[in-house]
Amino acid sequence: MAILDLKGIRKEYRKGEKTVEALCGVDLSIEKGEFLSIVGPSGSGKTTLLNIIGCLDTPSTGSVVYNGRELGRMSEKGLSAYRKDNIAFIFQSYNLIPVLTVQENVELPLVIERKSSRTEMRAKAENVIAAVGLSGMADRLPRELSGGQEQRVAIARALVKNPIVVLADEPTANLDSHTAEDIIALMEAMNRDRHTTFIFSTHDKRMESHARRVIVLRDGAVASDERK
Amino acid sequence: MGMLFKIALRNILRHKRRTITSAITIAVGIMFFLFMDSVMSGLDRGGIDNMIELSASAVKAQTRAYENEKEAFPLKYGIGNLAGLRALLANDPRVIGTTPRTQFLGQLSNDRQTVPVVGTVVDPSSDTTVFGPKRFLIGNWLSGDTREIILGKRLAQDMGVGVGGYITLYALTKYDSRNADEFSVAGVLNTSDPGINQSTVILSYAAANDFLDLEGLVTEADIAIKRRVNLRDMAADAADVKRKIASIFPDLAPATFMDIGASFLEIAKSKRAFGVIFLLLLLLIAGVGIFNTVLMSIYERIREVGVLRAHGMAPAQVTLMFVLEGFITGLAGSALGVLLGSCATWALVVYGYPIDKMTGNGDMTAGMPFWGTVYGEWNVPAIIAMFIFGTLVATIAGLIPARKAGSMQVTDALRFA
Repeated sequence: MAILDLKGIRKEYRKGEKTVEALCGVDLSIEKGEFLSIVGPSGSGKTTLLNIIGCLDTPSTGSVVYNGRELGRMSEKGLSAYRKDNIAFIFQSYNLIPVLTVQENVELPLVIERKSSRTEMRAKAENVIAAVGLSGMADRLPRELSGGQEQRVAIARALVKNPIVVLADEPTANLDSHTAEDIIALMEAMNRDRHTTFIFSTHDKRMESHARRVIVLRDGAVASDERK
Repeated sequence: MGMLFKIALRNILRHKRRTITSAITIAVGIMFFLFMDSVMSGLDRGGIDNMIELSASAVKAQTRAYENEKEAFPLKYGIGNLAGLRALLANDPRVIGTTPRTQFLGQLSNDRQTVPVVGTVVDPSSDTTVFGPKRFLIGNWLSGDTREIILGKRLAQDMGVGVGGYITLYALTKYDSRNADEFSVAGVLNTSDPGINQSTVILSYAAANDFLDLEGLVTEADIAIKRRVNLRDMAADAADVKRKIASIFPDLAPATFMDIGASFLEIAKSKRAFGVIFLLLLLLIAGVGIFNTVLMSIYERIREVGVLRAHGMAPAQVTLMFVLEGFITGLAGSALGVLLGSCATWALVVYGYPIDKMTGNGDMTAGMPFWGTVYGEWNVPAIIAMFIFGTLVATIAGLIPARKAGSMQVTDALRFA
């Protein structure tokens, strides 16, 4: 059963006098537990599509349906609440909060969510930190970690609240090949063990090769959609 | 809230120099205000104390009839039951003395010139329990000799007479007949209140009963009460004594030093207004500093705002996080300001400052009744108000840019490099 349905998604931006069409009629259906890669050249609309799937942006036309719920007409506050409960993000440049420790960064989505007690938060965070292989580093600040370790923290932060979907925008772009392999393997393991849906945009051929479904975007439209 | 506070606090500590600069601006504003407030309160208190000590006393009782015509200093409305008034106040623990006084209009002459004066008739023994002229006296206090007089220093200089010299005094007696007599100057009052220096003429009842046919007429009773550390407490005591007198002696119209010094206190109030304007200017500068600090903090952390919003943090929570930065900075600055201001006030309260040396013991005090060493006053409500106000200014200054952060589009924030 599809957890996410996008129908006729168009997104237009105003750039001065010009109107730029970033997405032009994207139809997409994603099922629970998919490990899906969105690829395409720069400017093809990958990030825009991820933003719309992640409720960070709204389409100019078309509908986004999550678990049967239409999100198109939700207010900014409603979208915040929806993101809080269902979606997690992994960014290219990790974007950890520099003044918080690894443990605090991972706990952050739970604090925002406000559903767990202090003890539960701590336990959940410790669990997921151990799962990404960072046990013993919980008290470190982001500046004391390597790039790969920071991305592992970002993955732990994304997974801690058991989201329906994890969206990753070029998660290995800033990593060396060895670390990138580790991160891909970790995401695959999490997808396998937790059945979390991963949707990631990438230029990285290795990462693309790990995906079980590859969607190619070109000029804002789906050029191909391949399942392996 | 706990996590937001943690992020705000750690970001503040991360940018120590910027935070310290903003906090110090607030602290300096508050410290100067508290210092100035203490000085002003001290001046008011010094002025009031000196007014009580030399002219007004704590409570002054005159008859209602005299009160209605007091500008003419009539010698016809005496206090009928002075002994009864003294007996009433004798057992009041707040009262330390009661003395009679009678004022009259006259003219002083030295053969070359004649100047109008308001004379005061006193009981030399009890007067010093209520008033303190002896502290400022050159020469001697009135002995009992019926031909002695005390003059203000400036008046004595104008008349070309000094201690031991002679001066002629003209006046209308109680029965409106003219009288003149020659008095020897026993002492000269040297205060830095030009009003007192220029117009004081003091005689004893022993002299005036004969010279003015007073026959014991007393137009006012002056009452001294114990000095209290806080002016408000002393004013409350004086008001209580006033009520007590008015309830037992309905023919009397007692007035406290607060009533008599109302104009002085009005001037003091306007001086305070300048202090408040000064403070507002300083806090405005501090507010602009905090505004800038929070704005810089937001620009440095726009991507962080994007991440928090992407994880579902509501716009109001993002706003609150940055508001907290302004609040914490304001809190720290206000606490420091109150601490420094309290230290400065403590020094003023304990050591004081010699205003007569600063003003040359002359007319620099512009007619205001203060001299000697002026001590600062504690103003606890002002300290609390400044603490709250400083924190509030910083919080509001932080709110404006914080709202900008809260209303930012998530995608714009995440794209920001």
